[in-house]
Order: sequence, then C-alpha cells, then structure tokens
Amino acid sequence: MDEEEHLHRFGTPLPALEKDVVPAKKPVAIEDQIVKDENGKRRFHGAFTGGFSAGFWNTVGSLEGWTPQTFKSSRAEKATPRVQLKPEDFMDQEDLGEFGIAPQGIRTRDEFAKEDEQEQRSGQRRRKLMQPELGSGPIPGVPVLEKLLRPVRDKVAVRILKSMGWKPGQGVGPRQTRKEKRLATARNTREQYLLEHYGAEGLPPQAEPTEEDSNDEDDDDEDITFAPDDYEPIFFTPKENRFGMSYSGLSRDPILSKSSSSTAKPMEHINLFGQLEEQANKKQLSIRGQAFGVGAFEEEDDDIYARDDMTRYDFSLADKKPKQKKQQHVQQRHVIDGFSEDKSGAALQKPYAIDLPRDFQPRNWLQRKSRFAPMDKERAKKLETATEYKRSGLGRHDLNPDQRAKLLGEQKIEEKAQEEQPKRNPFKDRGQSLLERINARTAGFTKGGVITESGEEKQTELVKEVKESNAAILEKAALKTKDLAPATSSSGAFKPFLADEAKQLRYEKFVASKLTNDTEITELLATMQPVTLSLWDREMEKKEFIQAAKIYRPLDGLMNDRFISEGNVQEEKVKEQQKTPEERKIVMERTKTMWKPTSLLCKRYNIAEPFGGAMLEPEKELKTKPKISVFDYLETSVNTKANFQTPSIIPKHIEKPKEVKPPTPSPAPPPAVEEQDKPTTKEEPSKFTFVPKTPLEQAVDESRNKPISEKTDLFKSIFDDSDEEETVAEQPENPAQDKLAALQEALGLPSMSTKSAAAHNVLRNTSPPRGIFAALFKPKEVAASEEPAPPKFTPIEGNKLKISYKSREERLRNDKELAMAEVPPEDIYGPKLPGAVPQKPEAPEDHAEVNIDEKLQQLWQQHAPKKRKAEKWVEKKIISSSEDSDDSSSNDSSSSDSSDGKAKKSKLSKAKKSHKSSSSKKSKKSKLKSKKKSKKGEKSKHKTKKKKSKH
Amino acid sequence: MPEFENFNVKTTIDCKQGAVRAVRYNVDGTYCLSCGSDKKIKLWNPVSGLLLKTYGGHADEVTDAAGSCDSSYIVSASLDKSIIYWDVSTGAPVRRLRGHAGGVRCVCFNEDSSVAISGGRDNAVMCWDIRTRRLDPVQVMKEARDCITTVATNENRIYAASLDGCVRTYDIRVGELTCDKVGEPITYLAQTRDEQCLVAGCQDSVVRLLDCETGGLLSEYKGHRGDDYHIECGILANDAHIVTGSSNGDAFVYDLLETKVLQRICISDNGGVVHSLATHPKRQEMLFARRRDMYVFSTDLQIEEEQL
Repeated sequence: MDEEEHLHRFGTPLPALEKDVVPAKKPVAIEDQIVKDENGKRRFHGAFTGGFSAGFWNTVGSLEGWTPQTFKSSRAEKATPRVQLKPEDFMDQEDLGEFGIAPQGIRTRDEFAKEDEQEQRSGQRRRKLMQPELGSGPIPGVPVLEKLLRPVRDKVAVRILKSMGWKPGQGVGPRQTRKEKRLATARNTREQYLLEHYGAEGLPPQAEPTEEDSNDEDDDDEDITFAPDDYEPIFFTPKENRFGMSYSGLSRDPILSKSSSSTAKPMEHINLFGQLEEQANKKQLSIRGQAFGVGAFEEEDDDIYARDDMTRYDFSLADKKPKQKKQQHVQQRHVIDGFSEDKSGAALQKPYAIDLPRDFQPRNWLQRKSRFAPMDKERAKKLETATEYKRSGLGRHDLNPDQRAKLLGEQKIEEKAQEEQPKRNPFKDRGQSLLERINARTAGFTKGGVITESGEEKQTELVKEVKESNAAILEKAALKTKDLAPATSSSGAFKPFLADEAKQLRYEKFVASKLTNDTEITELLATMQPVTLSLWDREMEKKEFIQAAKIYRPLDGLMNDRFISEGNVQEEKVKEQQKTPEERKIVMERTKTMWKPTSLLCKRYNIAEPFGGAMLEPEKELKTKPKISVFDYLETSVNTKANFQTPSIIPKHIEKPKEVKPPTPSPAPPPAVEEQDKPTTKEEPSKFTFVPKTPLEQAVDESRNKPISEKTDLFKSIFDDSDEEETVAEQPENPAQDKLAALQEALGLPSMSTKSAAAHNVLRNTSPPRGIFAALFKPKEVAASEEPAPPKFTPIEGNKLKISYKSREERLRNDKELAMAEVPPEDIYGPKLPGAVPQKPEAPEDHAEVNIDEKLQQLWQQHAPKKRKAEKWVEKKIISSSEDSDDSSSNDSSSSDSSDGKAKKSKLSKAKKSHKSSSSKKSKKSKLKSKKKSKKGEKSKHKTKKKKSKH
Repeated sequence: MPEFENFNVKTTIDCKQGAVRAVRYNVDGTYCLSCGSDKKIKLWNPVSGLLLKTYGGHADEVTDAAGSCDSSYIVSASLDKSIIYWDVSTGAPVRRLRGHAGGVRCVCFNEDSSVAISGGRDNAVMCWDIRTRRLDPVQVMKEARDCITTVATNENRIYAASLDGCVRTYDIRVGELTCDKVGEPITYLAQTRDEQCLVAGCQDSVVRLLDCETGGLLSEYKGHRGDDYHIECGILANDAHIVTGSSNGDAFVYDLLETKVLQRICISDNGGVVHSLATHPKRQEMLFARRRDMYVFSTDLQIEEEQL
C-alpha cells in the first residue's frame, strides 16, 4: 500500500481480467476486424472506399480517423473547386531534378550547349544502357562509327568565331608578332605546369600536346603576325574549405545524392562508371579523401590498397609531362555550366561600357534564313515606295505632334510656359536687367508702337505661322484626298431618264433647282415642258421627278436622313452646354391619351375597370402596323399604291361620284362593304386630289392589304349581280348585333364599335331605288311599261320573278334531293310585292328593324314622292304562318296550317317562274348566300319544308 | 415646418458584392437591401450592419429590388432581362419572370404586393401578377421612347420615368395615360408621401418637383452634379427635404420649399459617385450607395430617441 501511494499513474488502466476468460493469444486480424458505428451496426464503406475495412485499422470515418471527402454542392453553398493536382505533386524530389522525369531548371539551349552536355542530355543514358562499357569491346575508346555519324554542326560560338576570321586550331585574341607569340607560349606552358602540379586534381587528361614552337628563329619582323596559340583557359575553383591544396574530404552528402559525385564529374548524378573509365584509361588518380577508411557504400572498396601506392606521389619537382588539366567546376542545380552560384549574396554588378564597332548594327542574323532572307536593296526600295501610301495614309501621319498642335490651334507647352511666365513676373525671369527691360519698353513706346509684352508678340507671330502651316497642311491633305472623292458631287451622275433626252434635261434642271414646294415645282416644269404634253402627263412627270430625285440621290444624301455624324452630335452638345442651364427653360407639356388597363390589373389594384371595361382595345392598331423593312423605305414614295394606282386606269368621264346622278343604274356596292368603308372613304378624297374613285375601286383599294378571308365581300360585290344582293341584303343585321345594340341602349352607353342599325341604314340610303325597290316604289303601270336603262342593269320586275320561281318549283318536285338544298318559299320576305298576299304590318320582335325600315321609307318618300303611292311590307315569316312569326311556334304550327301554306306557296311559285328561267344561275348563288346568312332559323324552315313536300 | 438637423454617418457597410447598384429599405425601414454587381442581393440590418441573407440566382448585375408589404418577399430586377421573386426567409427564388427584351432597370410592388411593376431598357413597363403563377406579364406598356429608369405606383396609378424625358402616369381608375414631358432625361423618380408631387432627378443635374395634378413644374433643385450617371433622388419622410446623390462623392439635402441646399453631406473625400439612395419611410434616415459601400446616415437626435 505504501508503495502504491508513492507511485504515479499515467493513462487509464486496462480493465481487470475476468477470471474465466482466457485472453486471446492472437490479435484479431485486420480482415477480421469489424467497425461499428455509434448504433452498434456494422459500418460499410462502400466498395471503392475500402469496403468493410477502411484505412489504417479501420479508422476511416471514425472520430480519430480520416474522413473521406464527400462532394456536396448546393445553391446556397457552392462546392469549392478542388485543388488541381499536378503529376509533379506525386513525384519525388529526384524526379524534379535534372535527370528526373520532369526536370526543372534553367538550361542552355542545345545550340549553345557544350557537346558533352548535349550528349548527356540526349544520348548518354541510352548509349550506356545499350552499349557495353566503353573500352570493354574489341576496339577501345568511343566507337568510331558514332563519331563519324555525329551531325556536323558548329556551335554558335564557333560560328561567330569563324565569321570573325578564326580558324580551328588557332587561339583567340589579337594577332601577335612572333616575339609576342613566343612569350605567350612560354607563359602558357608555365601556367599549365603550375596548374598541373599545384592547381587542381587530376582528370582523365586529354591528350593535347602543347604546341611546340617549330622554329625558334628570331625574326623580328613586325609585319608578320600570327594567330595566338590555342590553349585551354584556366578555371579557378574557389577554395571553400580549409583542407590542403586540391584535397577534398569525404563528402557529407549521401552517396546517391547528386552533389556527392559532383566533385568527380559534373552533370552526372551517380558516378558509378567514372571509376571504371579511369581504370580503363590507366591514368593517374588523384589524392582522394579516404582518411577514415572506406564507407559501406563506397564503390572503391577493392581499390583500397591499390590506391595508396607510393608511385603516385611525386618525389621530385621535375617537369614530367606537360599536361593540361581541366579545372573542375562545381555544377550545381540551376547553374549553367561554367558558372558557380554566388554565395556571397550581395550582387556586385558593374556595368561595363562595351566598345562596339562604329558601324555595328545589332541584328538577329538568324531571322531571315530562308524565304525571309535579306532582300536586295533595289527591291526593298521599290516595295517601300509602293507601299508608302499605306503607311502615310492621308498625310495625317506625316504630322508630328507639334504640327498637329498647330493645326488644332494649341500652343506648345514651353511656349505656353514662356508666355505665362512674363506675365506673372515680367522682370525677374529674363537674363535682362530691370533697366534693360525698361529701356526696351520705353524704346518701343517712343517708336510709336504698341507696348506689348514679349509673350503677346509671340502669339501674333504664332498665329501667323499657324495659319501658314495650316494652309500648307490642308493643301497637302487635299492633294492626297483629291482622287478619293470623285462622283460625289451631284445626282446628275445618275441619269434615270436617259431614254428621253429632253426629259432627262428637264430632270436635271429640276434637280438643280432644288425645289420642294409642290406648286413651285409645277410652275418650273410648266416652263420647260413642251406644249404637246397633256395635263396628265405633266402631272405624272412631276411625280416621277420628285421620286427620282428622292431615290437617286447620292448615297450620302440618302444616308444623311438616317445618320448624323459624331461631329454634329458633339457640336450640338457643345452648343447645349454653352447655354447655361438658366437659359434652357423647361417647358412642361402634358398630353393625355386613352389607356386601357387590363381587367386583371384592375382587379389586383382593387379598382373597378374604367367604363366598366368597355374601353376600346388599342391592340388592333398595333396589329395593322406594317413591318418596317428596307424595301418599304425605298418604295415609300415611288411605288405605293396610293400614288400610282388609278390615274392610268380610270377614264375621266366616270370620275364623278355616281351618287350625283341618281338615275344611272350602275352597280351599287353591297351595303355591307359600304358600311365598313364609310369612315375611311371620307378621308380619302382629300388625299388623292386628282383622281376620285368609284366606290368599287375604293373597296378594291382598301381590300388590297386585307387577308383573303376579308375580301369575300368584295368578291361578292364584283361577281354577284347587284339585284340579287338587294334581295338578300335587305335582311337586317344578324340578331346578335341587334341584341348588342339593344343592350347598349338599355345600359345607356354610347355604342362605340358598332353603330346602331338605324344609323347604318341612314348612311346607306343614298342611292335611288333599284331592283325590287324600283319595282316596289314605282307605280305599277310604270314598272310594267319599261325601263330606259340598258338591259344589263334593269331591275327585275315582280312578275318575272314569279314566273322564274314557278319553274323552279316544278323542278323541285321532280327532284327531292335537290329540294333539300334549295331555299324554301318562306324565305321570301321584304317589301311586299304588288298584287301578292295581303301583308301583315310587323312582327313584334323585329321592332327595331321596322323602325329602320320606316326611316328608309320616309327617306324614299322625300326623294321620290311622286313615283310611289304607298308601301306595303312583307315580313319574314308572314307567308308561312300568318298568326305567329316566331321560329319555334312556326315549327309547331306548320303541320296545322300546312294546307294554308301550300296555297300560298303555289301562288308564289307562279310569280317566280320567269325569274328562274332567265337567270337560274344567279338565283342559285343568291340562295347559297341566303343560306349562309340565316343560319338556324333557316334550318328549322328546311325541316318544315321537307315535311310539306312529303305531304 | 420641422427644423432641419444635420445628418451624420451612422454605419458604413462594405457590402462585398462588387459595386453596389442600388440600396433600398424594406417597407418599414427596419431592413435594407443592397443590389450588387456580383449578381447578388443582400439583406442587411442597417443599424447594426449585420448581413442577414444573400440572394443569388441572377445571371447578371442586379439593378433594383423591392420588398413586399409584409416583408416576406423580395422582387428584384436584373440586367439578365429577368425579374426574380424571392422568398425572404428561405432565400430561394420563388418565380423568375422573363418578358423584357432588354435588361430590367427598375422594379416595384404595388401597395398590397400583388402586382410587380418593372421597367427596362426595352422601353417597356410590365405589370406582373404575383398572386397567380402566371409567367407572362398582365400588361405591357410600351409608350416610352427610351429606357425606363424608374417605376413607381400608388393605389391607382403607375408612374414610369424614362430617359426620353417624360413621366408617364397610367391612371388605372380613369383609364388614362398622362405623359408629362420634362425634356431632360429623367434618371430617377420619387413620390412624395402625400402623393401630390413627384421628385424627378434629371440628367442635367437638376432635381425637379412636378405636380401630379396639373403636370406643372413646381421647383428646381440645383447644386449637385449628375454628369452622365443615373443619380437617384428621394424625399425624406417628413416631405420637407429632398435629397439627391452627386457624382463627386457628396449628397445634397435641399429644402423642398425654398430650394436651397440645407446640407452637403460629404460621404467620401476621394470621389466615387453616390448614385443610389433610399430614404427611410418613417425616420430621418437615409441610405447611400457609393462604390462598394453602403452608408447609413441619420440625424443624431433620432437615434437617441430610438435608444431611449
């Protein structure tokens, strides 16, 4: 217990072993481990994230372990793009090194690189792998074939040297006299000797025997110069350690790292083969750091005894063999061969002035190698002159800033400064003394000149100068642009009336006059036009001229309408800005127009619709608005139908509106069409001054832009005969319209879109009685006698009608199928025919109609009171049923009074016999039409008719 | 006539959403909205400067926004030609209304927030039914000849200011369109609280007070600089002071009757156009937008009262 008190416990104690349980000897294998989540269930990671066991000891997903990333992205929280991993991220350090798979670092280009370096980079490895070791083959040394096959290509430095007169084998430097050369050679040999003995460590020496002076004759001929000897420059490696000369200790770097072997040979990452080479060459080895034996990784293990041979030591200072030793230079990463990294840190950079040859021009001689090779001078010159205009443009680029400034009226900055200075401080700034200045002023004064400060004088000078130079420049510019602007002058360039010379002449005069007023133009043309021209031709010509002038305007004119130049805009802007805001008086204008809010909008605003929603919809205007196209623009004045339609077609004698002469029985347009046209036709006469149109023409004109479906009325008016129209058209407007009118009346609203039927009839009722009316309103005997008008327009008389109808009735009896399609006799309604069935004055539900008709009658009475006595009207259903004209009731009653109806029918059929025979075709048409117009009621009548025919 | 007290800066909020295109109060002024050029709308508490919510979904810069009368929805206009109807609490776009042929410049709700009215660069004013799920506009008004800069409405009228220099009043009750031509491009339009007058900020650096009834020009307020910017103007809650932004980093408060400058609020010394502003619906408080920041200005006294 005491001991326990003194103990300190760390960590949590293991649970005490239960007595019965024997601890498992084997730990559970990883594959047997089961991971459970907090609910005690087995956790499954999914096939691609580790299955049941994931991560180190199944720690994936656990509290301590690694959590696999799940991709989550929502609108609120966008997934952050993952870091893009590059292949380099997975590489080792060595891979990024110079000899790795992804080397990084600065390198000289192949062209500039040393040859052996190139070898290393490109072929060395391969060669080493593929070939047996050097010297191991039957032929020692580098294979001959490989040397032979090496591409001949000088390095850049060599090429430069050669171009400067250097030849291989020579040294570089100024040419020497014999004496100088000898001295230099002596010096070189001495240096090399020293280097060999004390300088650097040994190398596989390159057998390059120093050149011996072939002749030691002392010819002090100064004129003969020699190229200097070629010798290897000496590289000095900086001494970085405190070892003895040319001793390098054991490298501390690991054996496989680059720097460990770098001392032995540059640019080689593992110097595994260097030793072999040395052995093969049987060259003397240098002293190497093996002070403490050989390391485990050291390859030279077996050489340990062979190395420290006493023969390797020199025992005398005698010059053994002139040898050239290459100084090794440390190759570090990112350092170009021949350089060493600056360890000092401080960069000492002294710019040296380079003494360039006088006519040296820096130039990349590689630039023009093949097709870009330097051009011969003549050609270049020619080309230059040919393309000069391109560069110079319109002379804008000939100007230097000063000239431009002058052109713009600006002052030079210095001048400005000069100008301002004297004003500020007129006396001090000049070198002149105060006295001198005063003298000068007084002198000027006495001379009678105006005292001006120097600045002002200058300014006047400047102005003059500017003017002169401006003129010169402008002249130049004009010269250059002269030939750019031909044929912009006048529209006369285009001759639209070339066929007629006189006309063309007139046209040109007209264009030159530039008149806009219509009457002036007519006057002008009247003076020029020949007398033979008719009035109409003159009018036409005027029109043509105006249009031609519009169309064949020069392009700039045409475009001026549509564009304005930036300059204009700016000018306006400037003008506007010059006006002070006080000047610009804001005048408020208020305009009010109708606007219809949609019912839904009103509903949402909780407001009743204005006028109870009965406002006119403005949408229709939008629909009729034509599309804008280029062709419309071009055609506007020339080809619009309004301008060119009728003058050539309409002879003059029918120009008068037909209404003036009531008796002429010309075909009247159908009332329906006229109704539509009324509002528009009122405007038209003012537009077309010289050609009034007949109503039919007007109808044609108007319907030109309409879709075909709307043209049916027009077609009817053209192809149908007017007299039948009359019979059908007398039927009042469809009941729906009537109801609407009645409703409007009841509401007390002004009817907007649809005028009341009465109003229409009043409007319509301007022509004399025709057709049936003619027959009706004339006294019987007059109608019976004859009509003076041409037979084409003769109204069909009542008795003829009877006859025609009878004949058809006969046919109907023969053919029952046809009878189904035909119009029943009950269809005949309208003014009562003379001598027909006694009429019933009116039906109760057609009250409005009757009112209208009464009006009509009154009008007739006013116009032609003598011609008629009294009018009797037959209402629609009177013939079939005398008691009630209601559709349904007539249907019901048809069976009861069928006999009555039959009798009437026979009478009627007699009356219509003649009509049928004369114009059966027409009657068919009219029947078809009537069928269309009266829809439901007709059908019911058909039924009754069928029944009757069966009877 | 209430006495004028100088406005002082209360909060400065860096909105962090690019340039702030518009700042707006909600219906009672407890929150404010900022529309950014980064296509987002942010909801702030203007007093504390706390960011409450960010609404993202537009495809281009947001030009205007408005809160509904119950502050549960936001409608926003964007240069992507669409209008988005947002749920405030969830931050989700409820409806996206496309119909404008150009970028939408301005948007507003009617009084009971059943209709959203928008005006755009396609010269059209469009009324959108918010209640139903209808995706096409209830009505399109295309009378304007240039870009619509502001739409405003009251219980029976819709006002649309356009760069063609006209204020168009669509009177729903009468069924009449009244076009008041000012002649200068109108960059912003604000209604007075009594709905008798309109405050129109014009391109020529003048704010004009227009009479709704007669269409007359009541007074002009000059002093600020508009240059070519769409400077907004407003009228303070007491209907006695008119405030406008300026292109040189200031804001001006004018007296409505005397048309003189009451205060030149120097918002920033180093320039920046104060182009958007909003006036508090009840208090003497204003919001300004300049570059990326939103500024809340208020009279000190008011704050003290609030605190007490």
